[in-house]
Amino acid sequence: MAPRQALRGRAGTRPADDRTGDLFGVVPSPPPPPVAPPPRTAPAPRQLWLAVQLTALPLVVVAADTRPRVVVAGEGGVRTLVACNAAALRAGLATGLALNAARVRVPDLQFHERDPLLEQRQLARLARWAQGFTPLVSIEAPDALLLEVQGSLRLMGGLDALVQRATTGLRAQAQPVLIGIAPTPRAALWLARAGEARPVESQASLAGALAPLPLTVTRWPARTLQDCTRLGVATLGELRRLPREGLALRFSPALLDELDEAYGHRPAPRRRYVAPERFEQRLELPVELGSASALLPYCARLLAALEQYLRDRDRATATLMLMLLHRDLRPTCVRLGRVLPTATAVDWQGLLRERLGRAVLAAPVRALLLRSGPAVPAAGASGTLDGCGSGAALAEAEAFALLDRLRARLGEEAISGVCLVPEHRPEAAFRRLRPTPQASRALPGAPTALPATPRPLWLLALPEPLAERDGRPRHAGELQFEAGPERIESGWWEGDEALRDYYVARTLHGARLWIFRVRAGADARRWFLHGVFG
Amino acid sequence: MNRSLEALLAGADVWRARGGGPGATACQPSGWPRLDAELPGGGWPLGTLIELLLPEPGIGELSLLLPALRALAVGPPGQARRWFAWVAPPHAPYPPALAQGGIAADRLLLISAVRMEDRLWALEQTLQSGHCAAVLAWLDRADDRWLRRLKLAAESGQTLTVLFRPRHQQAGGSPASLRLALEPAAAGLDLMVLKRRGGGPVRVHDVLGA
Repeated sequence: MAPRQALRGRAGTRPADDRTGDLFGVVPSPPPPPVAPPPRTAPAPRQLWLAVQLTALPLVVVAADTRPRVVVAGEGGVRTLVACNAAALRAGLATGLALNAARVRVPDLQFHERDPLLEQRQLARLARWAQGFTPLVSIEAPDALLLEVQGSLRLMGGLDALVQRATTGLRAQAQPVLIGIAPTPRAALWLARAGEARPVESQASLAGALAPLPLTVTRWPARTLQDCTRLGVATLGELRRLPREGLALRFSPALLDELDEAYGHRPAPRRRYVAPERFEQRLELPVELGSASALLPYCARLLAALEQYLRDRDRATATLMLMLLHRDLRPTCVRLGRVLPTATAVDWQGLLRERLGRAVLAAPVRALLLRSGPAVPAAGASGTLDGCGSGAALAEAEAFALLDRLRARLGEEAISGVCLVPEHRPEAAFRRLRPTPQASRALPGAPTALPATPRPLWLLALPEPLAERDGRPRHAGELQFEAGPERIESGWWEGDEALRDYYVARTLHGARLWIFRVRAGADARRWFLHGVFG
Repeated sequence: MNRSLEALLAGADVWRARGGGPGATACQPSGWPRLDAELPGGGWPLGTLIELLLPEPGIGELSLLLPALRALAVGPPGQARRWFAWVAPPHAPYPPALAQGGIAADRLLLISAVRMEDRLWALEQTLQSGHCAAVLAWLDRADDRWLRRLKLAAESGQTLTVLFRPRHQQAGGSPASLRLALEPAAAGLDLMVLKRRGGGPVRVHDVLGA
């Protein structure tokens, strides 16, 4: 106990359930909760925190849709839902449900893999937006922001006006959120997660406001929460009524620390979000230029400046945005990306030439603005000049540079890699992905057991219904069966769509086909073409 | 063949119309003995264009290439990543089947390009990069000028480069070093070798047959 009190020092604040501070008459009945260490110190400078809890961040990757769509995460067979759109919620799905179970309830469910990188970017973007309210914005990974707003209240015309502006702004970004306001960041976060939007402005009313919150708002590990349930504790208030020593023995020290932080008995300094460094430079053209290729020499000057900027800081970047500024029209944005970050101007010039070489300008260009993506520390792999990268890493980087060039001209979607997925249904046994060095390291060549029988080298995107005569399938004439049946079923929990008998059949022209007959359901006994052996 | 003739043939100043010797390109055995016997160098030539003419896709053209692709996938240890690029295939190649054939999924690179000009450009880029073990491309039409550019690009590396073209384009000439017309047969594929280095046309029957 002693060290903790010493730690509180100047930053300690007056707890709400301190009998002596009962100015508002909101303190619940005695006995005094033993959890709170007695206050000894003068009040710290007042703080007020606004927590923004994003409730559907994983869904940012999902297109708006009236059909049920969900985002899933987890490995192989135990993938669970981490976010559901409105239609999915209406269909009775909820986060935490296993994907297999969800697909029984909603057979045509659309699902996406979770993309943590995209979520991080989205959160950082929101953090930059939030810096319009206060200089002190902190990211609470993985899906919340904390804003210290006490200092901005006067500027914004009071708390109500500030909250109003923040919620309007968030709504405009189509980002569903919950908001909580409290004198400590953790309390604000917990209130937000509980959906308690009423602001708690004073330290005095904090304990009362936190008391009825369920323990799930803390997101403590499942075991901790189970232990609490076993003790008959369901709310924060009930937890704080337990003897402090008992809690310290029973649970990890982190739990007590978090409680103390929430109630303001322990300082909780927050790391300020600092937007990553970026290069930005504008270049006015001597004359307006109407042809894209005429812009290249000027782009080269900007790229040289970018290289200088990055090298001075020992940095590199993986994305660039070039804005072509016109007199009357909105600027044209040209985005370039590389798999591996680089500082070298020449690397970018090649990509830019591909892009601008084919572009038709909407209007003459009067100025250029080059903006870099986040400047990341230049790693060994990007040390192409001084050769600090090893030979293999260098070759690897060049292998991926090919993809950068292809993407610059053909577009992001035109280039893809694949990985295998352990799934019984043939069409689900692989997935397209963006090839990156990390992705291929995480997914070694053949992580899954391969099917024992031969699979066709071509698979149709969708099984194609086959014509039939006398119950026998046809494809440009009679089919001759060579092998089969192979029964493929993914189990009752997947719905009935994958109960199939597969055969190898040969057409009159000699093509070998992979066809199946549906065993049950709406399409029972019908024949489909699914693949070509080629 | 007597010894002095052998010695003469082994000299660098004698170019033989058929078979090995100087000027022969590196080859990858196709894995089909009857075919290898007819191919100069005993396999698919690397670093040049190979053209396969098909009446329709799916008659066994990939099975024909699979043993060579598998051998290229193994490669020397410690070697950097080399892609297996698929440029504008008619369907999606099915990764589990390729994995069964010994080609790891993380080496596959699928490139889609609708416009023929983009397709040829992508092909040229992949060939010039030297980072592809094999490039398979589907071209329904390509003029001679482009094919010559592609051949130049292919010659800058050691990539197995296979162009799949429709059978009806057999009439037009081609700069490809090796041209084969494929026909389905009772026991696999019949191949018509239309053009090869140092040899006339020849028919190879039942290549995929046991």
